[in-house]
Amino acid sequence: MTKDLKVIVAGGGRVGFQTAELLADRGHDVTIIEQRTDIVEQIADEWVATVIEGDATNPDIIEQAGVEDADAIAALTGVTGLNLAVCMAAKELSPGIRTVARIERSAGESYTRFVDAVVFPERAGARLAANEIVGSDVQTLSDVTGALDIMLIRVHEESPAAGKRLADVRFPSGALVVSDADGERIAGSDTTLTAGKRYVVAVEPAVADEVMNLMRG
Amino acid sequence: MSSQNRAPEAELGLLDATMIGMGAMIGAGIFVLTGLAAEIAGPAAILVFALNGVVTAFTGLSYAELAASIPKSGGGYAFVREVFDDLSSFVMGWMLWFAYMIAGGLYALGFAPNFLELLHVYGMVPPPEQVQAVALPLVDAALPVAVLLAFAAVLLLVAVNAVSTAASGSVETIFTAVKVSILVVFVAFGAVSPMFSTAEFQPLFPQDGGALAVLPAMGLTFIAFEGYDLITTVTEEVENPRENIPKAIFVSLGATVVVYLAVVSVAIGTLGADGLAEAGEAGIAQAATEFMPTGIPVIQNGGAVIVFGAVFSTLTALNAVVIASSRVAFSMGREGQLVSSIGQIHHKYGTPFVAILASAVVMLGSVALPTKSAGNMSSLFFLLSFVVVNVAVIRLRRERPNMHRPYEIPFYPVPPALGILLNLVLTGVLVEYLIRTDPLALGLSVGWILLGGLTYLALDRFRSGSDRDDEQTTELDVTPESDD
Repeated sequence: MTKDLKVIVAGGGRVGFQTAELLADRGHDVTIIEQRTDIVEQIADEWVATVIEGDATNPDIIEQAGVEDADAIAALTGVTGLNLAVCMAAKELSPGIRTVARIERSAGESYTRFVDAVVFPERAGARLAANEIVGSDVQTLSDVTGALDIMLIRVHEESPAAGKRLADVRFPSGALVVSDADGERIAGSDTTLTAGKRYVVAVEPAVADEVMNLMRG
Repeated sequence: MSSQNRAPEAELGLLDATMIGMGAMIGAGIFVLTGLAAEIAGPAAILVFALNGVVTAFTGLSYAELAASIPKSGGGYAFVREVFDDLSSFVMGWMLWFAYMIAGGLYALGFAPNFLELLHVYGMVPPPEQVQAVALPLVDAALPVAVLLAFAAVLLLVAVNAVSTAASGSVETIFTAVKVSILVVFVAFGAVSPMFSTAEFQPLFPQDGGALAVLPAMGLTFIAFEGYDLITTVTEEVENPRENIPKAIFVSLGATVVVYLAVVSVAIGTLGADGLAEAGEAGIAQAATEFMPTGIPVIQNGGAVIVFGAVFSTLTALNAVVIASSRVAFSMGREGQLVSSIGQIHHKYGTPFVAILASAVVMLGSVALPTKSAGNMSSLFFLLSFVVVNVAVIRLRRERPNMHRPYEIPFYPVPPALGILLNLVLTGVLVEYLIRTDPLALGLSVGWILLGGLTYLALDRFRSGSDRDDEQTTELDVTPESDD
């Protein structure tokens, strides 16, 4: 029984906003905390998340974002120290929450002592750039251009698609199951979606939520 | 369902959003309920619709603020879910779900006599009064014609919606335009007819109730203005929603009130309040057959246009509430507030199949109710859920003062407070009226609330039992473009 996650994103800049948009496309509930009024206005225009205007290190503001029922908080501002502070404050207010902090340097892996996960967008970006420069025919998963997402999705046992052949599951157009259960062959109409196995799936953002419904329940 | 809403390109403009709201509000209420309102309030039925427009406008402001600041397409339930704890939001969803299902029954019941009237206009069946005259005294076996028709209408639309995704907003725009034009024709012909020029609106209030008779009639017809909840269920498809949704709410409400007032004035002016009351659900259609020109080629009878409008409107409104009710149930299932299968998309049909079937059961059952009871119950639950929406606005302002609100209610907190007060007054009046005249509706309403309480407790117990094992597997198994 998976349900949509409630996620707080602190920092509505480039990284924060893109993350919020991806999450919202997959049907999760996102609340953004952002301090700068002009950015708040821009986010509101895009209509992906509820916005709390204020300083994310202020416990009162974190509470207004609904930290008690949130499943995860991602502090994605450009300032590492601030991000760590936000995550730790959130953990203090809601011990069960999953915390993700954006960091500046790869050395920051050691921060996982304080937070559940760290992200380093610059490195991911650099890898993309390197791939692009080499111009290789081989594309990595994260190198998909445009809006398309290639994801690894594990079939949940209670999902509508579990145990069914691909031919019997009506995937929305804009979604394609690429691999079979072992990741060794291209999926065909006879491929069975086995609960607990992961599949490579290509989806357009518009149908990502529906695909999640089918495979995750 | 929500997947289609978060389409990358927002396709509906202000006009489409407005039309969705008007389509729901002008839908069936005007054809089905005017006769009933006239029965209770006499010529003051005009006043009834005007006052209801005013009362509902306060809640409209609250919807506008919530819809502009919470980017979700779930309508009232989604907003309340954002603000309240499990129990309160469950109650809200439970009530709204019921209100829509019963509205479905009401529209189906309104469809049947109008359909009979349409057949009658073409001489295929005797006048509806006669069809029903045979039927009415024998409550169980002989009611069939109308009830069967209503039953069939629900079955048909449920089947269509269960196996295919709903019609898009632009289709809705065309539907609404058709309905409104038919009503404009009705008003135009009615206003120039000799019957209207000798119209008698005196005495304005009925003898036995006086001015206060307006209140129960307001309660009964309140459902007519429930449409903007529907606008907020498609917000994510609307361009620039933070501006267009509040506008669409106000424009559709304003336009609807104008249309209602014109139509009710003409209906009462031509048929008289008593005649309208007698005609019941087919009131407008009958008024039309009295003054519309006859002898037109093909359609023969001008009244047939209006009767067709009534049939068309009740069916499209029925379609809208089948979608709306299943959407509420679906969101509740998604949120874990109903059994999870209700919150799933069918793997083959791509529709919230179980949610539609669950809604269909109650809707089909409600077809056996008298039209008036269905109207009463649906209005009662809309009133109650609108109270909750107004409370949600106030609570959200207090608890989340820093939330960004692109649209803010003017003169806050007066409008939501008035909204709560007036909706509660109407609820009180309606309950009192039900105690006197319709204990069946009241009993069923209380029964639904109790059933809700039991469902909530049962699910709560079930969840606390199984949550433990679930927790470990709920960890994010979805790995998008891994970073390392």
